Amino acid sequence: MGAEELRVVLFTLQMAATATAAILVPGVAAAFLLAGYRGPGKSALETLLSLPLVLPPTAVGLALLELLGRNRPIGAWLAARGIEVVFTWKAVVLATAVMSFPLLVRSARTAFEEVDPRLVGLARTLGCGPLAAFFRVTLPLAWRGVLAGTVLAFSRALGEFGATIMLAGNIPGRTQTLALAIFHDTQVGRDGRAGALAAVTVALAFATLWTTEWLVRRRSRAEGA
Amino acid sequence: MLCSRISSRWSGRPDIERRSFVAALTTLLAAASTARAAEEVVVFAAASLADALREIGRAFEARTGHRVVLSLGGSNDLARQIRAGAPAEVFVSASAERMDEVERAGLVRAGDRVNLLSNRLVVVVPVTAATALARAEDLVGVGRLALGDPEAVPAGIYARQWLEKRGLWERVRDRVVPTLDVRAALAAVESGNADAGIVYRTDAAISKRVRVVLDVPVEEAPRIVYPAALLTASRGPAARAFYEHLRSPAARGVFERLGFEFLPGR
Repeated sequence: MGAEELRVVLFTLQMAATATAAILVPGVAAAFLLAGYRGPGKSALETLLSLPLVLPPTAVGLALLELLGRNRPIGAWLAARGIEVVFTWKAVVLATAVMSFPLLVRSARTAFEEVDPRLVGLARTLGCGPLAAFFRVTLPLAWRGVLAGTVLAFSRALGEFGATIMLAGNIPGRTQTLALAIFHDTQVGRDGRAGALAAVTVALAFATLWTTEWLVRRRSRAEGA
Repeated sequence: MLCSRISSRWSGRPDIERRSFVAALTTLLAAASTARAAEEVVVFAAASLADALREIGRAFEARTGHRVVLSLGGSNDLARQIRAGAPAEVFVSASAERMDEVERAGLVRAGDRVNLLSNRLVVVVPVTAATALARAEDLVGVGRLALGDPEAVPAGIYARQWLEKRGLWERVRDRVVPTLDVRAALAAVESGNADAGIVYRTDAAISKRVRVVLDVPVEEAPRIVYPAALLTASRGPAARAFYEHLRSPAARGVFERLGFEFLPGR
């Protein structure tokens, strides 16, 4: 693997990590609120948040482009302040973040819903505020689901293609992630390099999932002891 | 008890069901045989030919009763698909090299290849843009320049060759937004997401949202040739008829009205 390939891999990891970091707090907050929310429109809200999961990524990309294109409402506002989004790395982060968000939320929400509310109630009677109860009881009990969701979101971000190519284009050295580089290489007939990069994605995906598995195992053994 | 009733429902009155199934099958077969005279021609063509071939295809359909199925894209991608076994019968490429690849793979019918069209490159900007791009050198100051992928898409390769000849390529390559085909470059300029683009004259002519600011002089640009070929995967006479139709006076009229240079017969 040459320097250029290595740069693509590093860039992809960087983009996926940034996108995951960006959605971590809002995603966990949304999951927690949804898990506790019992009011009207709960299922409609949940469906809405899960939409990027089932929509074609190109449709999500189009929607983002309609909002963030230079002559579109948000895009024009940002452009007037000197912030370029489309065809830049910011577009890569944004597209992958939007596509990964539902995976984090769904997984974390399920984990929060499984926490026994009596334990939280107990913590509150022992003088914990809502925030303290969350960090001392709810999150420690739900951490596996939250971690699983985070890893899923990160993996999705690593491989995102459709929304990214719509919003960020496929510019070598600037917005080209692994998924886009594989596509580009087959377009220009560099099948060998495409294969090598595809192998890297397999290795990355394996490493991510395996590390998570290992972390979870280790923690549960420690808890058991 | 309940279970046996369900299964009797399934197998109930088999004669009638079978008879209606046979009737439906007969109808289908009859419909298929009457439609046999009309064939489908699968045409792979460079994206820049979209409007011309849609119009020519409609005229061909009206005249012959056959159906034309167009698959449009970057010629590089189409050539790759054809070499991978895509069921294309006629291929019109925006570059001789891409057609050579298909021919070297033994997929062009012997003797059935012709240089059909030529085209010119232009520099376009969004119609609303105030940019004054009077000379090629001004491209150096452009924020984002949309091109067909300069490594693969013919329009992008032609544009790169022109800029290399002018000694400008190294100075603009950082601003290039490579696209999947020339129409995607046009769309990037139309939306204003790119500040300028290099496309064919014929692409600029069909858009109301871009303005031509510079015609690339013929003597500076690489020679642009669109070869057309009948492929070995062609099945019936309809494919050959369409291939011949591309060279007819009727097709020539459409090509020339849209701004292409028609090559056969010259």
